[in-house]
Amino acid sequence: MEFDEMKKIWDAQNNQPLYVIDEKELHNRIQVKMNGLLHLTTISEWLLILINLGTGGILLGFNRLKPGTNIFLYLEASWMFVLAVYLVSHHIRRVKAGRRFDRSIHGDLNHAISLANYQMRLSQIIRWNFLPMGAIMIFSGWEAGKLLRVSAVILVSYTLAFYITSKGYRMNKRRKRELQVLKGKLEAGI
Amino acid sequence: MTEKEQLDILEEWLKLHKGLIFKVVRAYTEADHDDLFQEIIIQVWHSIPVFRQEASVTTWLYRIALNTAIKWTKREKKYAGAETLDNIQHLLEENRTQIDDRLTWLYGEIYRLDEIDRSVTLLLLEGFSYKEMSAMLGISESNVGVKINRIKKQLIAKSKNYDNHGI
Repeated sequence: MEFDEMKKIWDAQNNQPLYVIDEKELHNRIQVKMNGLLHLTTISEWLLILINLGTGGILLGFNRLKPGTNIFLYLEASWMFVLAVYLVSHHIRRVKAGRRFDRSIHGDLNHAISLANYQMRLSQIIRWNFLPMGAIMIFSGWEAGKLLRVSAVILVSYTLAFYITSKGYRMNKRRKRELQVLKGKLEAGI
Repeated sequence: MTEKEQLDILEEWLKLHKGLIFKVVRAYTEADHDDLFQEIIIQVWHSIPVFRQEASVTTWLYRIALNTAIKWTKREKKYAGAETLDNIQHLLEENRTQIDDRLTWLYGEIYRLDEIDRSVTLLLLEGFSYKEMSAMLGISESNVGVKINRIKKQLIAKSKNYDNHGI
């Protein structure tokens, strides 16, 4: 082979992609991200459901055992039970929706994005749920003649919950953006 | 220069000249493509603020990529065996389905040359002049000429084996 021939072979590679993405490795990484999100979502869902059921049950029991009935405590317990049911229905819908994604790179990537979206929605639900719950608790404190003490506890709890849910929201937003960038790159063939 | 401007330039250069970096990576390492690629990108990133447009972007990138690859090869030789394969995760793999076997052979032969000869061969195949090669590699033009003659003869002789036996 003459050197000119080698040069032609060399130049021909400029018209072809020299490297392709290692799809297996990329898929592994996406699956790790997706499984992490799935794990986190499932844990936070069940934790919220159990907390609401448990706290609602305690409030109900406490209200039944102590002398005198506080209607707002019943309302609070009912609110928590309704929220727990709402979260269970959300969980069922999410699991069903998750089955629609195929196990391809794009399927897993879309699943991971939908999970990040779901987590963001969950953070918002929890954050805004504290407003009606706090209001009911304040009324309950007012009826029991402990308005100031209850209001202070509500204020501290809401601030803490707002901080935690905001942090979770931002973290999931960042995750979602990363995944969307990756999806955009894959679709653009970069 | 702001970080945003630097990033825009890097993205633009990568979009236009990524292939050039891949060629250098493939000529200088057989296994750690991803690591060397990243190392070159880091060096290119650091070089952007000092790029004065006295040379073309291609020449500039070749200079950085080759210098990085040469240093990398020396370092890898020194620490050969220190890293386990478990730590290396490649996202990029050779597009073997589309590559001409003769090109694979050519890369193999280039890889067997010493560091400077590899650079000379890459630049020669890319069509750089003796003067440009001399400036990039820091060796005299006459030295470049001597090396090119020797490398050409060597490659042509080895290609005869490939033509005859397909190896």
